Amino acid sequence: MAANSNSPAQKENQARFAAVNRIEAGFFPFAMISPAVILILLVVGFPLLYSLYVSFTPYELLKPNSLNFTTARALRNYQKLLNDEIFWRSLLNTIIFLAVTVNLSYVISLALSQLLARVTVGQSVLRTLLMVPMMFAPILVGMQFRWFFNANLGLVNNFLISVGLIQEQGQIAWLVDVPLGMITIIIASIWMNIPVMTIILLAGTLSLPSETFEAAEVDGASGWQKFRFITFPLLAPFSYIALTIMSLDIARAFDIVRIMTDGGPARRTEMLWTYITRLAIEDTKFGLGSAMSWITVFLSVLFTLYFFRQLVKARIVQ
Amino acid sequence: MIRKLFLIVLMLALLSAFAVSAQDEAQYAGLDMDLSGITIKMANIGGGQYEVMYDAISIFEEATGATVEIVALLDGFAIDQKLKVDFATGAADYDVAWDHTSFVAQYTPFLLPLQDYFSEEELAPFSPAILDAATIGGDLFLIPRHADISPIHYRKDLYEDEAIAAAYMDATGEALTVPTNLEEIDRQARFFVDNGHSTLGYTLAGKEEALTGRFYEMHFASGGSLFDENYEPTFNDDIGVAVAELLAGWYADGVIPSDTTSLLWDGVAQYFCNNDVAIKLEWYGWYAYFQDPDSCAVAGNFGLARGFTGLSVGGDAVRPSGWAGAHAFSVPATAPNPQAGVQLIKFLSSERVAYEEALLGFLPTRGDVWDRIIADASDAENPLDRERLELARIQVGEDFKTPPLIAEWIPFSNIFYPHLQAIILGDVSAQDGLDAAAAETREMMADAGYY
Repeated sequence: MAANSNSPAQKENQARFAAVNRIEAGFFPFAMISPAVILILLVVGFPLLYSLYVSFTPYELLKPNSLNFTTARALRNYQKLLNDEIFWRSLLNTIIFLAVTVNLSYVISLALSQLLARVTVGQSVLRTLLMVPMMFAPILVGMQFRWFFNANLGLVNNFLISVGLIQEQGQIAWLVDVPLGMITIIIASIWMNIPVMTIILLAGTLSLPSETFEAAEVDGASGWQKFRFITFPLLAPFSYIALTIMSLDIARAFDIVRIMTDGGPARRTEMLWTYITRLAIEDTKFGLGSAMSWITVFLSVLFTLYFFRQLVKARIVQ
Repeated sequence: MIRKLFLIVLMLALLSAFAVSAQDEAQYAGLDMDLSGITIKMANIGGGQYEVMYDAISIFEEATGATVEIVALLDGFAIDQKLKVDFATGAADYDVAWDHTSFVAQYTPFLLPLQDYFSEEELAPFSPAILDAATIGGDLFLIPRHADISPIHYRKDLYEDEAIAAAYMDATGEALTVPTNLEEIDRQARFFVDNGHSTLGYTLAGKEEALTGRFYEMHFASGGSLFDENYEPTFNDDIGVAVAELLAGWYADGVIPSDTTSLLWDGVAQYFCNNDVAIKLEWYGWYAYFQDPDSCAVAGNFGLARGFTGLSVGGDAVRPSGWAGAHAFSVPATAPNPQAGVQLIKFLSSERVAYEEALLGFLPTRGDVWDRIIADASDAENPLDRERLELARIQVGEDFKTPPLIAEWIPFSNIFYPHLQAIILGDVSAQDGLDAAAAETREMMADAGYY
C-alpha cells in the first residue's frame, strides 16, 4: 500500500489535487464576494460609466435623439464648462462652503468631544441630545433654518427687533445679503454635521491610552499641554477619518442649500450641486450636467486621496 | 274637491320646480363609459386648495367602475421636473398628468393630441384664448382646469383717508386714486413709504419663473417684447432697461422688501396679508385667504383693480398687463389607458367639478361656470366678491397673455432671473445685466436650433 501511495502516478495526482486546492482556495473568496461585486457594478458602476458616456454627448432629457456620440463634439460640454463663469463661481462657492463648514464643524466637534469625555453625570442624556440633529432629514434642517432667517417672519429678526437691536423697517435680509446668505447656509450645515463628527472624535478620545496622560501629569503638564501634545496628535487618525467622511458627506447639504437659497439670489450662493440640478433637470441639458458631475467627482477623488495620505502619515507617526 | 285640486296644483308646481332646478344644476361629464377593472393613474399638482378637487374622484370611480390611483402630488415646479425625467426615461406610465400653459411646449413630443377625443360641443364652453394657448402646431395638448391672471391689490384705508389724499395732492399735484399704470404705482408706493403710511410700497415675487414672469408682464405692458419674430432676445431694449431700473430703484429705496429676491408667491402674499404693503399685483387665487380675518390683518381692507399699463417709455404701445396661464390636464403618449384618462379629464373639467373648484376662489376656464359664480355672487354680502369675478372675467377675456409658448421658456427663465436679481440687488447696472442675459439667451437659443 505504502509503495503504491508513493507511485509516480499517485504523486502526480497529489500534486494535481494540491494545485487544484490552491486554485480553489484562491478562487473561493472571490466567488463568495462576486454577487456583491456584480451587484455594485450593476447599480453603481454601470450608471457611472453611462453618465461618463452621456457627458460626451449633447444629450437633452426631452430630446432622445440628442444622445449620440460624435468625436467632433465629444469634449464640447467640458470646454463649455471651463469657459462658463457661473461654473467657476459655483466651484469657488463650493470650496469656500466646504472648507469653512468642515473646518468649523471639526473645531466645534473637537471641543464638544473633549467636554463630553470629561462629563461624569448625565453622559448618556447628553449624548442622546447631541444626536438630535442627526434625526432630521437635511430638507427639514433647510426648512427650519430658512424660517429662522426669514426676513419678515423669522425668529432671528423678530428677536433682534424685540431687543431693540434693529428696527422693523430695517429687517436684515439674512438669506440675501453678502456674505450673510452663505453664512446662514454654513450655520445650518454645521448644525447638521456636528453630531457625527463629535461621536467619532469622542470615541477616539475615550480609546486613548491613559498611561500617557498619567505620565504627563507626573511630569506636571497642564491641561492645555496635555491636549496640545498628547490628545490632539493621538487623535489624528480619528480626525482624518472624521474629516474625510464629512468632506464626502457634505453633498448632503444640497437639500439645505436648495431649500434656503436655491443658489441665489443672483447666484450668490450657487454651488456645484444646485448648478448641476439646474442644468441637468430644469434646463434638461443632461449631457452638460453629467460633465459637470464628473468634474465634481474628479475633485472629490483628489480631496479624498489627500485626506487618506494624511491619515496614513498620521498612523506611521504613531 | 277644491282641497284636492289645490294639492294637485301644488304637487305639479313642486315637480316642475324640481325639474327646472335639476336641469339648471351644473352637470358632471365623462361618466358615460364602463371602465370596470381599469386603474387610471394620474400625476397631480398637490398642496392646499389644489387637492380639494380630487375628493370628487370617488364619484367618477363609482359611476364608471374605474379605480383612480394618484401616483404623485407635488408642487408645480417639482411635478415639471418629474414629468421631464419620466418622459425622458419612458417611465410616464400614468394616464393623466398635471400640466400648465407655461410648461406644455417642452413636453409636446411626449403627449397625446386630444382634439380627436373631445367633440366641438365639449370644447365650446372653454375660453378660446386658453384653448389657443393649449394648442401647439395645430394639436390640442391641454384641457384647462383653472386660469391665473393678476389684478392690482391695494389697501383701501390708504385711498380713503382724506389727510393722506391731501398730502399726496400737495406732494405731487395729483389726486390720489387707485393706480392704473406703473408710473402712478411708482409715485404712490414711494409716497406711502416715505411718509410712513405703509411699511412697504409694493411687493413682487423675486426669483425663478415668478420673477421672469413679472418682468415679462411689466415689459409687455410697457410695449416691449422678450423676443422678436426670429426669437432674437429684445428684452435689453430701452423699455427693458427702464423696467429693470424701476425694480432696482424700488429695492434700493426700501419700496419693496429687503428679501424680495427670496420671495415666491406665498412670501409675497404674507406681506400683503400682514397689511404691510400698499399696492401689488397678485393672483386672484389668494382672495379667500386675504379676506379671512383670522389669517390676515388686511381682511376687509383691500380693493381690486385691473392690471396696470406700463411705463410711458413705450409710447403708444403701452397696454394692460396680463401675464396669464392655466393649470390643465394632459395625457402622456405612453399612457396605458388613454381613453380612460380622457374620460377622467372630461369629468374633472366638467361644469360641475369646475364650478365646485371655482367656489374655492380659483378662476374658471369655462364660460358656463363664469355665469354661475357671478350669478351666485350677485347677492353676496361683500360687494367685492362680485366685483372681483366681473373684473377677473374681463381680464381673462381681454388681457390673457401667456409667455412665449416655446420649449425654451424655463431654460430662458433660468438664465434670465439671476441676472435680473443681480440688477435689483445693485450688483450690476440694468443695461449690463440685461445685455449679459441677452447674450446667454442667444447662445441657448442658437444651441436649440432657432438660428
